[in-house]
Amino acid sequence: MTRAKRIVPMLFMSLALLALAAPGAVWAQAKGGDLTVALSSFSAETLDPALQGHNVKYYLSLMFDYLVGTTPDGQPTQQGGLASKWESSADHKRWTFHLRKGVKFHTGDEMTSEDVKFSLQRAMGKRSTTGYAGPLRTLIQDIETPAPDRVVILTKEPTLIIPVYLSRALSTEGMVLPKKYLEANGDDVFARKPVGTGPYKFVEQVVGSHIKLTAVDSHWRIGTPKYKNITFKLVPEETTRIALLRRGEVDVTDISRERVKELEKEGFPIHLRKDEALVHMWFVLGPDGWVPPVKDKRVREALNIAIDRNEIAQSIFGGRAEPAAIPFGLSWSFKDVGFKVTPEMQYAYDPARAKKLLAEAGVPNGFALDMHAFQLPGFPEGKAFAEAVSGYWEKIGVKPKLIPVDYPAFRKLWIDRKAPGATGYYNIANRDWIGTYALLEKQAYTPSKMTDTVADTEVDGMIAQVMRQTDQQKINSLMRNIFTRLRSEHYGVPVVYIHSPYAASKKLGKWNPGSVMYDLYIDELASGK
Amino acid sequence: MAIDPGTAERAAGGLAVPERDVTAAAARRRRLPLLPLAIIGVFVLVAILAPVLSPADPLSQSLRNRFKPPVWMEGGSTAHLLGTDRLGRDILSRIIWGSRVSLAAGVVTVLIASAFGAAVGLVAGYYGGRTDAALMRITDATMSFPVILLALILAVTVGPSFTNVVVAIAVILWARYARVIRGQVLTLMSLDFIAQARIAGAGAWRIITRHLLPNTLNTLVVLVTLQVGYVIIVEASLSFLGAGIPPPTPAWGSMIAEGREFVTSAWWASAIPGLAILAVVLAFNLLGDWLRDTLDPKLRQL
Amino acid sequence: MIRFILSRLVQSLAALAILSVVVFVLARTTGDPLHMILPMSATAEDYANARQYLGLDRPYIEQYFSFVGKALTGDFGTSLRARRPVMELIQERLPNSIRLAVFAMGVSLAFAFPLGILAAVWKGTNLDRTAQVIAVLGQSLPTFWVAIVLVEFVAGRLQWLPAGGISGWSSYVLPGFTLGWFVVAGLMRLLRSGMLEVLDSEYVKLARVKGVVEHRVIWLHALRNALVPVVTFAGIYFSILVTTAIVVETVFAWPGLGRLAYDGISSRDFPVIQAVVLTTAAIVAVVNLGVDCLYALIDPRIRYAR
Repeated sequence: MTRAKRIVPMLFMSLALLALAAPGAVWAQAKGGDLTVALSSFSAETLDPALQGHNVKYYLSLMFDYLVGTTPDGQPTQQGGLASKWESSADHKRWTFHLRKGVKFHTGDEMTSEDVKFSLQRAMGKRSTTGYAGPLRTLIQDIETPAPDRVVILTKEPTLIIPVYLSRALSTEGMVLPKKYLEANGDDVFARKPVGTGPYKFVEQVVGSHIKLTAVDSHWRIGTPKYKNITFKLVPEETTRIALLRRGEVDVTDISRERVKELEKEGFPIHLRKDEALVHMWFVLGPDGWVPPVKDKRVREALNIAIDRNEIAQSIFGGRAEPAAIPFGLSWSFKDVGFKVTPEMQYAYDPARAKKLLAEAGVPNGFALDMHAFQLPGFPEGKAFAEAVSGYWEKIGVKPKLIPVDYPAFRKLWIDRKAPGATGYYNIANRDWIGTYALLEKQAYTPSKMTDTVADTEVDGMIAQVMRQTDQQKINSLMRNIFTRLRSEHYGVPVVYIHSPYAASKKLGKWNPGSVMYDLYIDELASGK
Repeated sequence: MAIDPGTAERAAGGLAVPERDVTAAAARRRRLPLLPLAIIGVFVLVAILAPVLSPADPLSQSLRNRFKPPVWMEGGSTAHLLGTDRLGRDILSRIIWGSRVSLAAGVVTVLIASAFGAAVGLVAGYYGGRTDAALMRITDATMSFPVILLALILAVTVGPSFTNVVVAIAVILWARYARVIRGQVLTLMSLDFIAQARIAGAGAWRIITRHLLPNTLNTLVVLVTLQVGYVIIVEASLSFLGAGIPPPTPAWGSMIAEGREFVTSAWWASAIPGLAILAVVLAFNLLGDWLRDTLDPKLRQL
Repeated sequence: MIRFILSRLVQSLAALAILSVVVFVLARTTGDPLHMILPMSATAEDYANARQYLGLDRPYIEQYFSFVGKALTGDFGTSLRARRPVMELIQERLPNSIRLAVFAMGVSLAFAFPLGILAAVWKGTNLDRTAQVIAVLGQSLPTFWVAIVLVEFVAGRLQWLPAGGISGWSSYVLPGFTLGWFVVAGLMRLLRSGMLEVLDSEYVKLARVKGVVEHRVIWLHALRNALVPVVTFAGIYFSILVTTAIVVETVFAWPGLGRLAYDGISSRDFPVIQAVVLTTAAIVAVVNLGVDCLYALIDPRIRYAR
């Protein structure tokens, strides 16, 4: 009797809780006309193209158009950019770009050559932190606007690479911004409410959470956009991203390689960006260059052949990786320059020979080696990878010490040269030859002091020559030689190329995420053409 | 989980203190909590005897053997009774060696925090006045700094390590002890025997160590027991965020963090260390509860 | 009463001042944010430019006072990474954190009440012990693991509830439960002992002798007595929820203060780190102040105690 009266309120409370837990279908994401993409990282997350270092273009490519467009393979094309055609003078110091007519910014203003000039100057300005602002500053002498639909760029030296630098293939310098809007409202307002000519308009951003865009009525590049709204969600935890996909709350998400099988079994289409990045380890230099024992070429070779690349590819990367052979060898550039990786160049797994090499080099009992271990966006296996490599190196007698840091802390050690002989790694985004060259210029070129990891005068010489070349054949030959020398001297430890899987909802149509650095070609997905 | 009794303590002082309950039920309650003590005992033994008990080297990797299931499942073998982890390391060995790390982290942190915190609380309560005010302001400031953020900052500045975890947590945890002990000391100070000791000529040191400290020991014991589990849990959360005890050292928290992506496929990689943490922390919590009930029911605010 | 509030206010401000110095120093020891902002090709000149542009080349004392001065007017500076006023970022995130904490508190109480009452009424029995174990279980499991298991099974497989982000009431349930379960034990314990205290007291024995119906005894007196410490500690637990939510926020992609702090630390964003720590401390201080005032109102003795 009294017991019952006690139980009743408790039952009531339990029922109340159950009611709360009722299926929340009514609150689910709006479907049908909307696309939602969940990503593990937004990198810099700023909406102002000039404030990005080397960062993701997923949503920027939807809001802004480039001067020079590219195919999903990264080749410049006259279809995808605001310049419908371009040509250079005979001496390659004068580049003329012919602009499309009738392209309007989201504010309604018409896009003219003044906007292109303004955008480019802004990208090269002091406040800009884009990846290639530096090279452009040294290269570009002047920008002229002889007509509203023509831009002329004058360079200090003859060069072939201007169109690529201003294209979608690399970073954001080629994005065209509205001069009137920026001058009227200033940089801060623009960073919060960006305006471009792209197929999608900015709606809102909650930093650290999501970015929401809405379609324009019709766009020269993709026709009538297929999706009314596109939302990018930042979801750091993978289990959550996958749960969102299963629930239908997101349509596309990046997943780690180890969970591909699980989702494939459930029937989710997996779109693979093959060779999206090269997992590459390098050595931090000392203040005067190489430090022993890694100064000795045999030691570097030993470290390379001690790693079973196939096993790493199959286990840690779930089979979605391929062994790599060339230090800094970004494979999307190989076809550009005609470089072929022969079977002899592949590092064979030979720990016995590695031990012999170490003995020859004078360190038969190994040596202490600091290995920095960290996670990186797009590379969740980072720490496991470092541990695996340290395991292999231990087996040949090296005494690796895993030093956990986060990437900014490691970068400081690297640039300040405070950890000579230590290793670091990065999943270097694959890119075309110009991007690769720019990377080599930063990381394999001694005058680049801070970020150099290869102190070799031959390589320096070749890189310097590429800078001044206008003959594509000579450039290609130089690049091939650079790769060959990097490999023969073992100036790094290239481990694997990783394929990046993107799981999509079963309703999503055909999609080619493309092979352009830091871009997913979402606009192709939304194309109404 | 210990919290600051502060004003609640003052308020509770106004309510009736229950008499010692002499019923049979109460006698049952006062009986030793055997299961928690047994669990703690077992793990302490395991930690001490790790080199002897561990079937394999907890650090030895074998990528070929990654994610092998435990022996009772299909594909399992007696070579790895509890299966292997992401890098093919034996989980049983890592659990055994990990008990050292996790228990040490919990115990060392709590001992440091309680020693320092009790000292501060005793001094503040004894001297009162401006000393007390100043010390309490510092204590307040410390308590409001989120533990996890401090650990993250340390991890980012000097790199994650066992020492960092201990320091980061202890540096903030002491404040709780300080508050609680100070409250107790304030109550004690108003009692006759302290005034008598003073009249008898006892100095500060003597009063604090001979009269005040022994009377706060009960509280300390309860708090310490309850907090060991808390520290082990916080270490696990720190590993999840990248600021815990770094690889390749086996620690239960980082084992769970490493295995969390495989909750359905290779569930043993995270579930088994999870069970270990659960058992130990539960044992400490239940033991602490029992100690509180037995030593001084007035401590129920803890 | 006013004096009491004022004196507590001054004390809280003093604590915040100490904290501001500590967090200022700590933030700057984390490293150089420029490494994250500038591209790899940046030259030493680029670094010098950026440092000047961002005001990082001024002497530390000047930076500190500028920080404090602006903070008092509600300006926490500009985020080095997002290049937006930090105040805006906090305004975007703070309500989310508070709402989640409130919801978690609600869940906590919803569990603590039945469990605590059950345990007190049937004290010493297996029911009592089971209730205690259920409550303590929430403190004995790593929060992130509970969160991930819930996301994987309840959201991903069974699909009963949303997996992440904010999208209506149902999205509060999983993160709120994960967060709240952690403090259920403490609240339940208070309820149980608070009720036991009264149930054992003279007054209740007398009431029983007089023959008052038992359930009224329980509900009216015991519960009301137990509520007093629960209210106090609810305040403190609330602060704990706000400060420890970072793990839950990460797993459930919940845009709150915890995640803001984490991103700030990862990118060495000093203004953000400083602002989040001070905001959290301020919340803790405000909640403590509120609870103390509540107590002072109830019990006048406290107002005059030191």
